Amino acid sequence: MTIATLAFALHGWAQKPATGDTTKTESDDDAVFVFDESELDLNDESDVSQDVIQISSSSNMYTSNISYTFSPMWFKFRALDQRYNDTYMNGVLVNSAESGSFGFSQSLGGLNDAYNRSGDYSSPFETNTYGLAAFGGSNNYNFRASNYAAGHKITLSGTNRNYRARAIYSFGTGVSQKGWAFFGTVGYRWANEGFAKGTFYNSLSYFLALQKIVNDRHSISLSTWGTPTERGQQGISTDEAYWLANDYHYNPYWGYQDGKKRNSRVVNTFEPSALLTWDFKINDRLKLVTSLYGKYGQDSRSRLQYNNSLNPKPDYWKAFPSYNYDVWGLTDGANNDLAAWQDSYDFWRAAEDNRQIQWDKLYYANQQMNAVGGDAAYYMLKRHNDNFAIHLGSTLNWDIDRASKLQVGVQLASNTGMHYQTISDMMGADNLHNVNNYAIGTYAGADPRVQYDLNNPGGNLGKGDRFGYDYNIVVQKATAWAQFTKDQGISHSFISAQIGGTQMWRDGKMRNGLFADNSYGKSGTARFLDGGFKMGTNLNFGKGHVLGFGVSYMTNAPYASGWGTGAFQAPEMNNNFIDGLKVEHMAAAELGYALTLSWMRANLTAYYMHGTRLNEWQNYFYDDVNSFTYVSMTGAEKDYYGVELGIKFKISSPFSIDVLGSIGDAKYTKNTDVSYLLSTQGTVTKDLLYNKGMREAATPLTVASVALNYNIRGWWFTLKGNYYDRIYLSYAPSLRYQSTLIRMGAVDNDGSLIVPEQAKGHGGFMLDGSIGHQFRIAGNPLSVNLMLTNILNNRKFVNRGWEQSRSSYTTDQTTGEKSTIRTYNFQKNPMKSYLQGFNFMLNLNYRF
Amino acid sequence: MKLQTIYKGMALMALSLAFVSCMDGEWDTPDVTKPAYGNNSIEEVEAKQVTIGQLKNTYGSVINASGFQRITDDLQLKCTVIGNDIGGNIYKQICVQDATGAMIVGINGTGLFPFLSVGQQILINLQDLCIGGYGKQTQLGDEYNGSIGRMSTSKWENHVRVLPSHDMSQIDTLDFYNVAKSDMTRYCGHLVCLKDVQIGDADGTTTIAPEYTSGTTLTYNGSTNGYVHHTLNGESMSTLLLRTSTYADFAALVIPQQPVTLYGIATRYNNTWQILIRAEEDIKIDK
Repeated sequence: MTIATLAFALHGWAQKPATGDTTKTESDDDAVFVFDESELDLNDESDVSQDVIQISSSSNMYTSNISYTFSPMWFKFRALDQRYNDTYMNGVLVNSAESGSFGFSQSLGGLNDAYNRSGDYSSPFETNTYGLAAFGGSNNYNFRASNYAAGHKITLSGTNRNYRARAIYSFGTGVSQKGWAFFGTVGYRWANEGFAKGTFYNSLSYFLALQKIVNDRHSISLSTWGTPTERGQQGISTDEAYWLANDYHYNPYWGYQDGKKRNSRVVNTFEPSALLTWDFKINDRLKLVTSLYGKYGQDSRSRLQYNNSLNPKPDYWKAFPSYNYDVWGLTDGANNDLAAWQDSYDFWRAAEDNRQIQWDKLYYANQQMNAVGGDAAYYMLKRHNDNFAIHLGSTLNWDIDRASKLQVGVQLASNTGMHYQTISDMMGADNLHNVNNYAIGTYAGADPRVQYDLNNPGGNLGKGDRFGYDYNIVVQKATAWAQFTKDQGISHSFISAQIGGTQMWRDGKMRNGLFADNSYGKSGTARFLDGGFKMGTNLNFGKGHVLGFGVSYMTNAPYASGWGTGAFQAPEMNNNFIDGLKVEHMAAAELGYALTLSWMRANLTAYYMHGTRLNEWQNYFYDDVNSFTYVSMTGAEKDYYGVELGIKFKISSPFSIDVLGSIGDAKYTKNTDVSYLLSTQGTVTKDLLYNKGMREAATPLTVASVALNYNIRGWWFTLKGNYYDRIYLSYAPSLRYQSTLIRMGAVDNDGSLIVPEQAKGHGGFMLDGSIGHQFRIAGNPLSVNLMLTNILNNRKFVNRGWEQSRSSYTTDQTTGEKSTIRTYNFQKNPMKSYLQGFNFMLNLNYRF
Repeated sequence: MKLQTIYKGMALMALSLAFVSCMDGEWDTPDVTKPAYGNNSIEEVEAKQVTIGQLKNTYGSVINASGFQRITDDLQLKCTVIGNDIGGNIYKQICVQDATGAMIVGINGTGLFPFLSVGQQILINLQDLCIGGYGKQTQLGDEYNGSIGRMSTSKWENHVRVLPSHDMSQIDTLDFYNVAKSDMTRYCGHLVCLKDVQIGDADGTTTIAPEYTSGTTLTYNGSTNGYVHHTLNGESMSTLLLRTSTYADFAALVIPQQPVTLYGIATRYNNTWQILIRAEEDIKIDK
């Protein structure tokens, strides 16, 4: 018992919030019944890039509830990308050194019993014991085996979402008399077909933790986990496709093959990870926590590729009826062909098979190409983004006296990202060559510049072969930080600072024909120095009134590669870094007021952040130059600001009301320099991107929620009304290049350029509810929870999407002038993702 | 906690791991001996069949007037694909021929070549399609703004059946100078061979279809952004030329300075022969 107490004490001092906040939270009150984000598997359908920030700081009514409440709309805390949120495990920072993000679903998806309630969350201006809280907050998971209760737990879930069923078994020993503790959990999530047709879900998850408390000063913990997952994706399309399919969840990614649904976009992820931790209590006031984290991440994403042939996407723009007839009345109608429109409409509507991938047809095409000795017209490829990462974090916590604390720490990280493409299915074809077909035309077929790998020119490819690109990106980071907190009078203050260095390089494994001297082998090494400070104060005026404010200024080395960002010009082609790549700057300030009364708890926070020298990176087909392009945007500036409110009214003992709301903005404050490299020629063009005023996409910028909670005789009910508004779709940069706007003739009478409005999603009101009860079976607790989402079956929510980057006109490649207006209008047809209508999740949870 | 309980717990975990297997897995090549393109329900009826020669005769006046006419009779045409868009030079068209002649089929789609490869025999249900002339070149398609145009891909797939026969050796390649050139009406649209021919503008650097540049001495057609014309054996471009799209995959091929053998489709534009080569392989340097 003593040892067990010591063990909990040991992890306790490692994790105790420096703020000293011991307020019991709402989730503690309803620990058995309340659904929280761990029940949701928030990110079960997302890609790395779309993981939402995990924030649940219990000291703030707003932040403690938003992850769960607004998760159906993929709400982003302060509209920040996930790279602004730091994830720690036993004190070591585990965000990817390459992308800056932590892929929650790839690493911890399905491991609810491992991460549930093991997080130590910090809002951006809260102090903690593991590092400077990031702009989007930070979280430190305690994965020590002693953190978990002894006993067995079985969870069974049924739902109609991306997966249909989930089973989790967990088992913990607690701490034995000899100081050993073990915890393990395995889970499985499955769907033969999710709510969107053609999708499937097949995910195992395991987590094993072993801890040895050596004595009252030392403890060693080892944890290992992974979530091998295979899932068929849902694609999104245009309103025209949804209308033709009469289905808001029309999924263009699948088609029938031999009578079975085959999804062309299958994601396979597996990140076996391990965490070794040494807790060292040097003396009563001095504690050292050191953790070593390693993982080997494997991520592959399949896609159907066409080779100089017709795009096989069933929702390719040329396949739509509106390709044949200008339904918007934006042209002179000279090219309108009503009969063709009708033909296409009839084809879409005649049979489901017609609007899905015609696999048999593609195999047939390959068979035809075999007959004439040609290359595959269609094949399946996999894009691999593997990585091997080692992170080391060590933090020394010193309780100087009762009122003063000092933490110092270091974080080291090394990441080797392995990026390559393989043939996953030749689809019956005999031949395929590792040749850049996009460059053929600019260069003759025999020109060496069309070879993807001059070290192996003309290679005939087969299943499993690497082709197109193959390179590693190596990033190494080192950061040292310190934080001092002081309680004096009515104030609790802190000041913290960090300094770090980052170096990165690319190591090409293919000699690209367009960059024969600059693509194979190692690039130069880019080095960046970053750091900054953060300080803040909470003033407790008594009687429940607390006023807090904080300021921060941080610089951050560019991320080498990741969703929407990158340090390399065209990493699939060459070793060049982006011209003008600089360390990013972010300044932030926050003012908060908290009121705690016997019947109410409220938090009101105003925040402002300003980012400068921000780097962004994308790649897409740019019609006006008739080429796929790699696009670098440097020197971007953004503002993030808003007001957040969270209130809990305790009307009576069983009845409470939660109110949440946020209104903010997140937008570019100036136009941005842009340069793009043409994959067809390897040349670079510079331009100015008119993105001032464009807003962060895929998150509502206005949210509000009122929840009624009623708890009686072991039953727990919640009815929640949520409102979402000001949802923007990702803007298409190519439509806003200076040269594009001039070409389009988007110039007003004063000669100023007219920048297109950013496309919007659609918000509205959503009603959610839940009901829970705890039974006892054989003396053990059985919790039953039913969660109902979007009860009113509102099918009009659009939570994300993007403007199509293609032009609604053709461009004369010689003069660069607009040539003809296309019948199909891309700008009237943004890609949209509609939220699922009514859905539910039933959880049964038995402990024994 | 007892050791036995621990072992049980671990065994349960191990057991649950054993139930998981891959869902996507390997996909076998489907049986596509029955063509997965076109309309397999079109029945081949000999009595309905006409030849290209017959069509040219029947609709000769319409073709020569560069007009069009919708075919209302229930007719079929059995022919062989001789040209497609594999090289990007033939665009939204295929070229077909039979023993009596050849013509162009206009289809409003790209990427046709994998489904309609050269040598493929096809059966076309002609009823409700249009036939006409574009610069007197016979073309099958649909009405477009009062003249012959392309038909939609869905209409085309409804009207075509891919037959089992695929044999490139059966294609009759005519000697252009000795056979085809003498009868434009009959042989326009045919696959031809031009032996020992010198392509114009061959200076060792000029490519076959460069994009337009100011001051160029090359001959461009239509707009600055389209086709480049070269002479063949120095013959006047009013009677014969080599026509190549700037979007062709082989547009960047340097024009050979020595004589070559050209294979291509001998199309006509009014009274001018326009040779369209289909792919880079259609230019063979004479030894």
